[in-house]
Amino acid sequence: MSMSDPTEPAALKKRTKTLESQVQEAQRAIDELKVRDALKTQFLSNISHDLRTPLAAIITHAEILRDGMLGELNPKQRDSVAGIVSGGQQLLDMIDEILTYVRSASDQVNLVRTEFNITEVVDQVRMLNQALAAKKHLTIERLNGDDLPLLYADRDKIKHIFGNLIGNAIKFTPDGGRIWIGFSRRGKEGDELVIEVGDTGRGIARDHHELVFREFAQVDASPSRPHHGTGLGLAIARKLVELHSGRIWVESELGKGSRFFFTLPLNPSRD
Amino acid sequence: MPSPTRILIVEDSPLVTDAFSVLFTEAGYEVDAAATVAEAIERGTSTRVDIMLLDISLPDGNGLEILKALRERDSLPRATLAMTGHNDPHSRRSCLEAGCAEVLLKPVPIGELLRQIKRHLV
Repeated sequence: MSMSDPTEPAALKKRTKTLESQVQEAQRAIDELKVRDALKTQFLSNISHDLRTPLAAIITHAEILRDGMLGELNPKQRDSVAGIVSGGQQLLDMIDEILTYVRSASDQVNLVRTEFNITEVVDQVRMLNQALAAKKHLTIERLNGDDLPLLYADRDKIKHIFGNLIGNAIKFTPDGGRIWIGFSRRGKEGDELVIEVGDTGRGIARDHHELVFREFAQVDASPSRPHHGTGLGLAIARKLVELHSGRIWVESELGKGSRFFFTLPLNPSRD
Repeated sequence: MPSPTRILIVEDSPLVTDAFSVLFTEAGYEVDAAATVAEAIERGTSTRVDIMLLDISLPDGNGLEILKALRERDSLPRATLAMTGHNDPHSRRSCLEAGCAEVLLKPVPIGELLRQIKRHLV
């Protein structure tokens, strides 16, 4: 087949040279991609920061109008302006989610550990989501946890993880469904806490169990998809769990609800 | 008649300054504004300021430098409310250590902002 016999020294030498230059080229391409990736991350960080400022001004102006500081509004006008405020806030939340992701992806996030009660954090997040859940007649229940020891972790980040998991559960669970949070302990001396956030929602096909934790991944990415968002919620949850030396995974089947689990060490090293 | 409370808005975005100016004027306060560290130091020393609303990241430096400069000139306002874009405990601590009375997360809901101002005027 080949024009020259590859066992012949000259041909072998030539082949080695070709391979060497191909490796070099591949390395150059990888370096170039890394530079571009870093630029893109920087861009995302800058643009999200810059989007916040005019949005903050829009929200403040709308609040001034809504609260009647420039004159009383009639109920219809007030509802409309309240819509501007809540739409603006939703947009702001999405921008903040992108910023959080960018920071965690580029290792700009440090844990600030304190001792706290994890059930208090869960109950706070439940309260924050109560109105949203009530709209869909969903119940959010904490099954147990009153006897857990204090956790030594980054409270805000743990709250963020619960916010994302419970937020997703609300989004993907149809009217009248159930969402629950449960705790169990495992490992030697029970020093690993396993946290479950479960729902009776539409479920996730086995093929997608890994995909959902990848950044920008949405199982249904079509523009007509019924659920919009940044596609970063679970990727951020994974990053924040991993920063705490934990693991996160999902057990689910289509049509049978989802159970998200993550682990946290109960006795992390304190240095 | 006591002179009205004066608020100095230190913020580099004219959009945000405008929004706050409307808010504070409607709430009955006198409003002044500065967009840079240098401008804020100048306004803070040449006029009376009761409350300073301070954006931390400014084009010519860190907003906390203003506090330091005003303290050296014995011109500190009654209270400084810092505003930051991101909820980061380190920047929060440095604001409090520099002498800010509060650290608020942008955008601050107007009800909360007006409450904080009232609270620090008592």
